[in-house]
Amino acid sequence: MSWDSEIDEIKKRRKLAKQQGGKEAVATHHKKGRLTIRERVDMLLDKNSFDEIGEGAGVPEYDDKGQLKDFQPANFILGFGEINGRKVIVGGEDFTVRGGSPNPAGLRKSVYTEKLAVQYKLPLIRLHEGGGGSVGGTNKEKNRRPLGEPVFSQSRFVPLAETLSAVPVASAALGPVAGLPAARLVASHFTIMTQNAAVLIAGPQVVKRALGHDMTKEELGGPQVHLASGAIDNLAKDEEDAMAQIRRFLSYLPDNAWAYPEKIACTDKADRCEDSLATIVPTNRRQPFQMRKIIEAVVDKDQDGSSFFEMSRKYGPSLITGLARLDGESVGVIGNDCMYYAGAMTAAAAQKLRRFADFCNSFHLPIVSFVDEPGFMIGPDSEQAGTIRHGTAAISAVLQSRVPWASIQVLKAFGVAAQAHFGPDGYVLSWPSAASGALPVEGGVAVAFAREIAAAEDPQARQKELEDMLAASQSPFPRAEGLSVHEIIDPRETRPKLISWLRLAIAAMQSQSPGPYLTGMRP
Amino acid sequence: MQVKSEIAGSVWKIIAEAGADLAVDDVIVILESMKMEIPIVAPQAGTLKQLHIAEGDMIEEGQIIATLE
Repeated sequence: MSWDSEIDEIKKRRKLAKQQGGKEAVATHHKKGRLTIRERVDMLLDKNSFDEIGEGAGVPEYDDKGQLKDFQPANFILGFGEINGRKVIVGGEDFTVRGGSPNPAGLRKSVYTEKLAVQYKLPLIRLHEGGGGSVGGTNKEKNRRPLGEPVFSQSRFVPLAETLSAVPVASAALGPVAGLPAARLVASHFTIMTQNAAVLIAGPQVVKRALGHDMTKEELGGPQVHLASGAIDNLAKDEEDAMAQIRRFLSYLPDNAWAYPEKIACTDKADRCEDSLATIVPTNRRQPFQMRKIIEAVVDKDQDGSSFFEMSRKYGPSLITGLARLDGESVGVIGNDCMYYAGAMTAAAAQKLRRFADFCNSFHLPIVSFVDEPGFMIGPDSEQAGTIRHGTAAISAVLQSRVPWASIQVLKAFGVAAQAHFGPDGYVLSWPSAASGALPVEGGVAVAFAREIAAAEDPQARQKELEDMLAASQSPFPRAEGLSVHEIIDPRETRPKLISWLRLAIAAMQSQSPGPYLTGMRP
Repeated sequence: MQVKSEIAGSVWKIIAEAGADLAVDDVIVILESMKMEIPIVAPQAGTLKQLHIAEGDMIEEGQIIATLE
């Protein structure tokens, strides 16, 4: 007597599971230029590191003798794996089975994903392609179970929400993603989509019936929509690029909120001074400059050129957010982009900043802020967007920070919005180009001194005189004299100065044990 | 291809005229927005087929500025 036949049964079931939705469904999927979920997992993870959970879960079909005739695998693949030798959890829908719309085993596996991540405190990656439930439901067995979940069961959205405070979460949309999978997609710290993916609450047919809009799913929820809406952070050239960006995103982060990010070996010199920084800001305040060039000149250079990894470039584009290495340490970087509304804080930029500050606090990343803030965006669109509330919420998030902050005042720091660029007990460096005050000279003088200018013999000359006088009072030198900034520096010294500070700031932060970052009510 | 403005503002100066051969990042027009001069550049190389704006025009976010071929 042996267990050979049962062991053979295991092998048989594993083989059937690997067939996914069958040869035809897989071929159709490939024809659309898309990989299957198993190919995606292999592409993401270190070679042969996938350790699957629930491979045998699925919908069996038995013959009269009780022998397994056929097997439809769960349409969600789940397991542990490794990225650059670090353990992660990965999951994703199998589009070749029912178009990724959950079968009962698939739903259970998908719900278990977040629970596993929280339980084992490991980074979570979800590779999405699939729809939500259908009107017909997922409960089509002959012997029907009771409908719905028991009233005492926990909502599947509880672990979904918990993951964000516990572990880094990165998700990709690699095809059409709708309903529940779309909700899980955005419950992430980093989201990415490929050019031919679409993210939808409901598909074109439902939208047409309800609202009369005749639109394709790409028009409804393609990259051009969701990179600007902020639901998706980055665009991937193709699936390989999506996996590469996810791996890169995770490389800056600790495994969970109970650990600090790891320092890596840095080949870039700590005392590197870039000459370009001395001339990059035009003396003519009307002319813009490239903040990204400043960021890249300061942070570590690595084999990819720059260690700066930008996220959410198309959303709230007047604010730049990204991750970088400085002296081999992970840092969050923010900066104003004056190419968009002079870098003014829009409602979208404010929400982007609040989310980014919370993210950096969740995983203990010091924040380096390059400041050129003219103030909140003004005008009817900005008022209608509720910018003042979103902006004030961003300021609250920044000032409740527990991570170290350094701010380099490159040019402007005006109005209430400037507060969103200086964290509590922050290290503040000022470039000679810096200018601060309640209002920028260009807009402020004409309004504040309107009567005086109108009454002058030569109004234009008087306005110019007042503007020059005010510009002088906004200079950084009196501020340095009054210790309103730690130091006014030659812009070339930015990198060495920041690194000296960062070494002290990280030592102080890491003298305490890290834990989850939980905040209270915000405006 | 159509070159759109990602910001609102007014057309301050036209730099490239119709028929001009442009390299990537060549400036087509300069907008004035929030008291700053913001260049609208060619996103790819090509010939400037048509300008859809004139100096002094008010521009909305997403408005088509030029057609490149």
